[in-house]
This record gives sequence, C-alpha cells and structure tokens, in this order.
Amino acid sequence: MMSVVSETLTGDAASSVLEARRAHNEKLAAKSDKARAIWFPIALLLLLLALPALQVIGNFNYVLHLVLFTACYVTMASGWNILGGFTGYISLGHNVFFAIGGYFAGMILARYGISTILMAPFAGLLCAAVGYLIGRVTLKTRGPSFIISSLALVMIARILFDHWKFVGGANGVALPANDLSVEWAKLPYYYAFVVLAAFSVWLSYKIKHSKFGLGLRAISKDEIKAESAGIDTRTYKVLAFAISGALVGMAGAIWGEYLTYIRPNIFLIILVSVNMVLMCILGGKGTIAGPVIGAIMIIAFNELFVATLGASEINILATGLLMVIVLLFFPQGIVGTLAKHHKLPRILNWD
Amino acid sequence: MLEIKGLCKYFGGIKAVDDCNFGVERGSITALIGPNGAGKTTAFNCISRTAMPTKGSVWLDGERIDKLRPHQITQRGLSRTFQISRNLADMTVLENVICQSRIGGWRDLMKPAMSSDEIDKAMGILDFLGITRIAYEDGSNLSYGQKKLMDLAALLMSDPKIILLDEPAGGVNPTLLEEIVGHIRKLNDQGLTVLIVEHNMELIMRLSHRIVVMAQGRVIANGAPAEIRENPAVLDAYLGGVLEEAV
Repeated sequence: MMSVVSETLTGDAASSVLEARRAHNEKLAAKSDKARAIWFPIALLLLLLALPALQVIGNFNYVLHLVLFTACYVTMASGWNILGGFTGYISLGHNVFFAIGGYFAGMILARYGISTILMAPFAGLLCAAVGYLIGRVTLKTRGPSFIISSLALVMIARILFDHWKFVGGANGVALPANDLSVEWAKLPYYYAFVVLAAFSVWLSYKIKHSKFGLGLRAISKDEIKAESAGIDTRTYKVLAFAISGALVGMAGAIWGEYLTYIRPNIFLIILVSVNMVLMCILGGKGTIAGPVIGAIMIIAFNELFVATLGASEINILATGLLMVIVLLFFPQGIVGTLAKHHKLPRILNWD
Repeated sequence: MLEIKGLCKYFGGIKAVDDCNFGVERGSITALIGPNGAGKTTAFNCISRTAMPTKGSVWLDGERIDKLRPHQITQRGLSRTFQISRNLADMTVLENVICQSRIGGWRDLMKPAMSSDEIDKAMGILDFLGITRIAYEDGSNLSYGQKKLMDLAALLMSDPKIILLDEPAGGVNPTLLEEIVGHIRKLNDQGLTVLIVEHNMELIMRLSHRIVVMAQGRVIANGAPAEIRENPAVLDAYLGGVLEEAV
C-alpha cells in the first residue's frame, strides 16, 4: 500500500508537505521531551540509595522501613498497572503471585539457606510462567467476568496454601533472620526493594513506549478493533499478565524473608491485592508515575492515621474517607487528572 | 482473489447468513447489497473472523482463512472497517493509524511505538486522504465523516491487498461522500481490491464493477450493475423502491 500512497504523492508539492510535517513532528517530540522530567525519578532513586547512610548517625530504622514498604508496593502497583492500567483488565487476584513468589523463595531459604534476594528473579520467572498459564484461561473473559475470575483465583490459592502440609498449611513457615546487627539488618531488603521498584518503573516506561504498549492501549480501548487492526490480542494480554505477575512475584519473594515468616494470611488476604488496585486508581491508572504516587499516598495516609488515631478501626475509616475525597476531585487519579487538564507538574511527568 | 463458499452463520434458530457463495476478483470493486437484515454485515464479520462462521469456508488467494484468528487475517492482507466506526478513544488519530501498522514478530514488540518511518508513512496516508490537520486530534473528538476517513487511513497502514468497507458512506455529508468515493476509486486504480457494503444505491451503481445482492442470508443475484438493475429477483427483494430511483 505504501506504493499506492507514494505514487500519489510524487512531485515537489507533496514532498514539501511531508518535509513540513516532519519538522512539525520533531518540534512536537522535542516539546514532549522537554515536558518530561526524567531527571527527577533518577535523582529520587539516588537519594533513596544514599538514605541508609543515616544509620551511621542514629537509628532510622522506621524511615527505612517506610521507604522499603513503599518500594515494595511501588513494585507491585507498577506490576499491576501493566495489566490493569495499560491493558484495562482489572485483576483483584494479583496477590496470588505475591504468594507464589513469597512461598517459592521462602521455602528455598528455609530448606537450603539461599537468600530470597538471589532467588527473586527466579521467583519472577516462576510467576511469569504461572501467569502465562492462568492468563491463557482467564483472559478469555472480559470486564466484570474477568474480575470475578481473578477473585476466584485468590480463593483457590488460599485453600491450596491453607491445606498444603509441605509449606506449613495455615500456620506457615518461620524463616531464619539474617545475623546482621539491628542497624544494618534491614539494608539488604531495603536495597533489593528500591532497586526492584526502580526496575518496575523503568520496565513500565519501556513497555508504554513500545509497540507492545501501543497494542495494549489499543486492547484497553477496544479489543475487537485492536484484533482487526492486526494485533495478536491474546498473546499481548497473556504476556502483559505474565509480566505483571512476575513483578509482583519478585516483590513477594523478598517480602517473605523481610518478615521472616511466610503464612497464607500475610500474602493471600484481599487487602494486599486491593491495595495495588487502589494505589493505581489513586495515582492514575495507565501512567508511569501514578502507581508510585498512589503507593506513597496510601502508605502515608495509613501511617498518619495509625499515628494520630491509633490502630483502632477508625484509622481505616479515615484512610477510606480521604481516598473518596481525593477521587472526587481527581476522578482519573492524581497524575491522570492533572495530565488531562495540562496541569501536571514536570516532576511528575515520567511518561 | 477472495472466495466465499457455502458460508453459514446461525444465531440459535436464526439463519443470518445461509449458504452464501460469491467471489471477489482481483482489482475489482465489488459491492454487497441487500435490504436491512439481509446478512451483509454478518457475512463481513465472518469473512474477517470478527464472528465465527457456523459452516462454510473463506479463501484468500487460495489459502483458507476462516480458521485463522482476526489479526492473522489482517496480516494476510485483508483489512476491514466497521459500520459504526470503532476508534480508539484517548489516542490521537496518528496513534490510531499506526496501531494498524504491521508488526514483524517477537523482536518488534519492544521497538518504539511509533518509529519515524511509520510516522512518515502514516502522515503520507493522512495527506493522501486530506486529513493531516487532524493527525494530533483525539480519535474520539472527530466528526462522523472524519472517523470514516481515519478508518480508511488505518486500513491503508496495514498494506492490505483487499479492503472490506462496511458502509463507508453511512451518515456522511454529500461533499465528503464524493471525497470518499474519489479515494476508493483512486486506490482501486492502483490495484487495491475493494469489497463494500453500502445502502446508498446511487453510489454503488456508480462505483462498483460487480454487485452481489443478498436477501435473507442468501445471495440472490450476482453480476454487473446493469444486470442487477434489470434482475426481477432483486427488484422484488427491494420492493422496487430504491433501485428504480437510482436508474
């Protein structure tokens, strides 16, 4: 078909039109490059990597724990975002991958003493494989049916892990703690999670700007159209499911060792998967910075209200209320809504 | 080039398409017409595999394509538009068009979403259709006619051998209609085969080389426009009305 168009477009007039267009495109590309602040996430990452130096002057374990916890959720929310945000398939069952990753690496640690940080990439691969198989079945459904199928997945996994004697059933398995002194004990996990979070943000960015990402966006808008446009929707969806499962699984692997315990009601509670979804919705589904902002906000809300209201039920109520208010003013999430109104500050434009 | 043999599509007891046979010759503009509910769009859906045919086979250049998946059919060179233009909201016209560009295989997946070559090609197509000015508009902000043109642009992006147009003139103003007709002619002159479903009889008579008439899921006539005009079965199917006006 190229020939058809180029034949029609012979002559100087046509080529000058194309020339002008190209100049225009380059200007637009330069403009979007200028509007994007890649330096900010990089600076943030460097700052976080340097943060443990604080341990030299005192005990900042609480700060480290908060950053680590946030980074864990950034990884999971970014992973979820690849399926839920880019592809438009809302999964409430992503904590299954959290559990698979956690149990896989945790059991290897318990039996052979190999650190979960080393096993995390393998846990990711395992979760990708499991995600691929599950995706082949559940991604045939769309919309509400898919959400329900993902919930069913959590229930099945919960029953399996609750009754699986080898992994300790409902009681779980205690994992050995590392023998570092108390100031430095968190550091391996801290760095693992910060690097993992940075990796998942980078991967999201890479995917969003690739052919694959364009295809996923097309699927989220109109799957039938995407299919007839020549996009292999089934493969794309399953691949997105596997990748997002892998990221969540890697986070789960390290989380188990950090808590020194693996138990179904750490991994397979609905709160974990709902948190991922809420973070993405609050920050902005389908954006790169959205899951990061969402994770920071939800964890900050939680900590703030636990600190001020105590760990009663009221803190949960207050977090929920604040989220409702935020979503009232930012219906597409903070990053999504600001971007739509062209008010997104440059430091939050990572797309 | 395209052969439809014994195509059937049943929805429960309803026979939307029932033993439909026709062919499309290479380089021709073939029209598929018929009264409302004749099964034209269903036949289209079965050919492009948006719907699964109940029985029968579809052949493209000697290859059986009714068992393939929709994207594979598009990759074989058969692209279609939809009756109610389906476009991807929150994506620019340019992105909508480039979505349809061909992807080689696994290695291409992580390539940049829109390479400068592709942007140039898409811009060339938009220029050919005279809609470069809306390249950066959101696909959902377009007028009905602009959406139809965008659909056509997206089709051309996939380097098709044959295009299936489902009511390209539906809801389009007369000026734009002439424009679309001109584009279809020009593309056809350059060797692109066209299969078109349309209600505008005057346009069909003017544009097409062959006409296939469907009624109640069956092909009741197949021939040049002049023959179709005289065919009593066709006149009967349309109750005489529309065709005589067009003559």
